[in-house]
Amino acid sequence: MANVSETAAGAVEAGHDDHEHPGFLKHHFDTPAQQYNASKLGMWVFIATEILMFGGLFCAYAIWRGLQPEIFDQAHHFLNKIMGASNTVVLLFSSLTAALAVRSAQTGKRNLTSFYLIVTIVCAAAFLVIKYFEYSHKFHLGLLPGHCFGHPKLSAAIQNGQEVGTCLRVDVNAAPVMPEWVKAIDEEGHVTVLSPRANMFFALYFVMTGLHGIHVIVGMSVLAWVLYKNIRGTFSPAYFTPVDLGALYWHLVDIVWIFLFPLLYLVGKPE
Amino acid sequence: MSAEAPHVTDHDDGAVHVHIASTRFYIGIFAALVCLTIATVKVSYYDFGSANIIIALAIAATKGALVATFFMHLRHDKLFNTLAFLAGFVFLAIFILLTYDDLGVRAKQMPWSYVQHISAETGELAPGGEPATSATQDDVNEEGPPKAGEPAKGEKKE
Repeated sequence: MANVSETAAGAVEAGHDDHEHPGFLKHHFDTPAQQYNASKLGMWVFIATEILMFGGLFCAYAIWRGLQPEIFDQAHHFLNKIMGASNTVVLLFSSLTAALAVRSAQTGKRNLTSFYLIVTIVCAAAFLVIKYFEYSHKFHLGLLPGHCFGHPKLSAAIQNGQEVGTCLRVDVNAAPVMPEWVKAIDEEGHVTVLSPRANMFFALYFVMTGLHGIHVIVGMSVLAWVLYKNIRGTFSPAYFTPVDLGALYWHLVDIVWIFLFPLLYLVGKPE
Repeated sequence: MSAEAPHVTDHDDGAVHVHIASTRFYIGIFAALVCLTIATVKVSYYDFGSANIIIALAIAATKGALVATFFMHLRHDKLFNTLAFLAGFVFLAIFILLTYDDLGVRAKQMPWSYVQHISAETGELAPGGEPATSATQDDVNEEGPPKAGEPAKGEKKE
């Protein structure tokens, strides 16, 4: 590949243009190893910034929990531990298959790489399906963030006017105001009266798991692109960087969930 | 196996050389992660007071470390990548600790941020507004609409 700018600069290292480049090696890198290490470092710096982005939410969680531990205690019983744990195992398994996809790319087994990538993407979809069921249950009970908390127009349970699943609002048709309380059945079957300030727990729940859910969708897209490239035959034991970096992103999604799961579903007094 | 192939060549040839763990090893790590998940769920059914959150976070940190070390290959990667990763946590710790410290001062300076929630209709304390003791919580559960009789305690600090 003749490079115009280099012919102008006479000081270019001799032999560089004579050298046979592998197709994947970008011109500004000397060796494949240099290119690989630079890509990895870039990915790790990106991962550090991702930790800091979620960090803002973890900080908000720490503050609000510190201020109102009893409300977090009460509200966290509305999350289903079994569903949360199932989702954890699904994500851990998808992390395993992502790691195995990298391994088979490193060893040059193209079809096996495709298989592992597909399993990873399917697990990601399964995670989102379980999350959908959890979200729709919260919507049903009216356990929503901010002024949507206990809003009769948004919650099926409250609309039906059951004895539980009710809320006390001053004026339903006026501009949104917070309810005085919301009465609903938690995951252990106890009827619980929630303070309006429990909306902070559900705000954190929806924002933290929502941002994580966006990461799951982005991760699925990245892995699907890697899968497409793999089927096209782009990767080899000499060049598998996109598989590696895509898997790193997926493991990051896994690590974030590993911390979200206990903080939202598990900590608090058992009933 | 072809797993050995990348190690055969000279390490100064500029090609990519990586450590490749066996499939069985990765499955072992996965099994350990699942065991820790089951453990953290089981433990959550026992009340250790404030130790619950420490146990839960310790197990989560162990799981995260397993994923980062082995699935993400930090074990055999450049040390600088590990430093970049850990730097994220160092700055996160600074962020949370300084914010917490600020909050401790604010309790003295801004007591109005601790005002209890009072029901507009009854003038009584709304449920959840006071630290929930098990006795008052049961009363509230049986009677439905709240009848928290205690007067607002105002700010709790100092």
